[in-house]
Amino acid sequence: MAHPAEHAIEETTTGLSHRKMLMWIFLGSDCMFFAALIATYMVYRGQSINGPYPIDIISVPITTISTFVLLCSSFAMVQALAATNRDDQRGIRIWLMATALLGAVFIGFQIFEFNAFKNEGLSLGTNLFGATFFTLTGFHGAHVTLGIIWLLGMFVLALKGRLGPATSLDVEIVGLYWHFVDIVWIIIFTLLYLIGGFDAGPAALPGG
Amino acid sequence: MSSSHQTEQGHHPSFKQYALVAVILFAITIVEFFAIYPDPDLIGAAKIPVLFILSAIKFAIVIMFYMHLKFDNRMFTILFLAGLALAFAVGIAVLGMFVALGGSPRAFASANAVPYEEGEHAKPTTVPLPTVPPAVTTPTESAAPDVDATTAPEPVAEPAGESGAAASMEIGTNGDALEFSASSLSAASGSSVTLTFTNGSSVNQHNWVLVQNGTKDAVATDGTSAGPGADWIKAGDERVVASSKLLDPGASEQVTFTAPAAGTYQFVCTFPGHNFTMFGDFEVK
Repeated sequence: MAHPAEHAIEETTTGLSHRKMLMWIFLGSDCMFFAALIATYMVYRGQSINGPYPIDIISVPITTISTFVLLCSSFAMVQALAATNRDDQRGIRIWLMATALLGAVFIGFQIFEFNAFKNEGLSLGTNLFGATFFTLTGFHGAHVTLGIIWLLGMFVLALKGRLGPATSLDVEIVGLYWHFVDIVWIIIFTLLYLIGGFDAGPAALPGG
Repeated sequence: MSSSHQTEQGHHPSFKQYALVAVILFAITIVEFFAIYPDPDLIGAAKIPVLFILSAIKFAIVIMFYMHLKFDNRMFTILFLAGLALAFAVGIAVLGMFVALGGSPRAFASANAVPYEEGEHAKPTTVPLPTVPPAVTTPTESAAPDVDATTAPEPVAEPAGESGAAASMEIGTNGDALEFSASSLSAASGSSVTLTFTNGSSVNQHNWVLVQNGTKDAVATDGTSAGPGADWIKAGDERVVASSKLLDPGASEQVTFTAPAAGTYQFVCTFPGHNFTMFGDFEVK
């Protein structure tokens, strides 16, 4: 930030931004992180010997709404980057704040869901479903929360007028992270809710 | 090289294109939702492949358009897809470990569980190996000497008297751990056994159930269905030789039974989930 000239031309050995490349490598490694958690959920799917089971407590309609909210936030994020590229200061602020707010609404849905599950008797230690479900969705929620904090930091920079075409890479990188959180949710939503949300006790599944 | 970086910016989609992408993502999500709700079996066996394909399409759309991989340098795509490929490998490895080795992770875990010995961990100065009698290491076992370290001989209760004689024994729990205080008991066939089971836990309910060898998990699973009112034991379960009631923390009960035919039996707590760590062998001589 102290040397604005550096943003104009970033000289690297590959001709590509190292920061952007680092973010992509991080996202690639984060895929493995979530793959381990998702695979653990799938291994223990239907193996709980006591309830509550997914069919008892999972609400597919409510989570579909929160999925829409997260998709909307991704759309707001690309608009924030587009506004940055055309140096639309008002647009940058509006769309960055919209992205962060929609992310916060998603987290609000998740807090509501976790609380409802707790009231239904499902905690991290209740059964294998609780342990794997809360670990996976909790880590995703933590990613979203980190993204919200990052976006709010960018919003503060936007208020100071520090974002524009010269610093669009800063917005693009937070955008990459944000969209990644979105695609992880696409997978989690499909596996845990659309497919796994109707799982009953062990007897209902073969091999259980 | 820097010139190619500059031209990337010009290929970013317009507002309308981004909006179109969002509409497509919404539409796919709506299709997914109505494919499984309110009737989860609406499209039958096609459900899982259809949902996989639809979510893969959404995934691809987001990384291609929102994350610009379609317009950006191919290096970023390669880096991300390499991570994604490794992620698939991680997932397949985790699933494979369980599916290939046992089919059922619970059965696999319980079959391979190593009993946790309070004494060995509490007293690190106690080296288990010297206590192993030399005769234990037979030629067939010498191929895997490490196994002895984890299966060091455990304290075995003295065999109860002769056939027909009376024998009494005691067993408790390892504090709040989901374990019995002894991992094996023994008695002579035909002897009248009086076993005092004391639930030493301060939080958990436990019972003590003597079952046919190899049936502890099956008995516990059926017991789970029977519920707490039945002391977590299926009524009339023929695999059960003797059992205590479900004891509250601190409670104690005497179980009297006649030691069955010679052979190995198992004792287990059938409270749901406890059977994986809370069990032992009962040798009838």
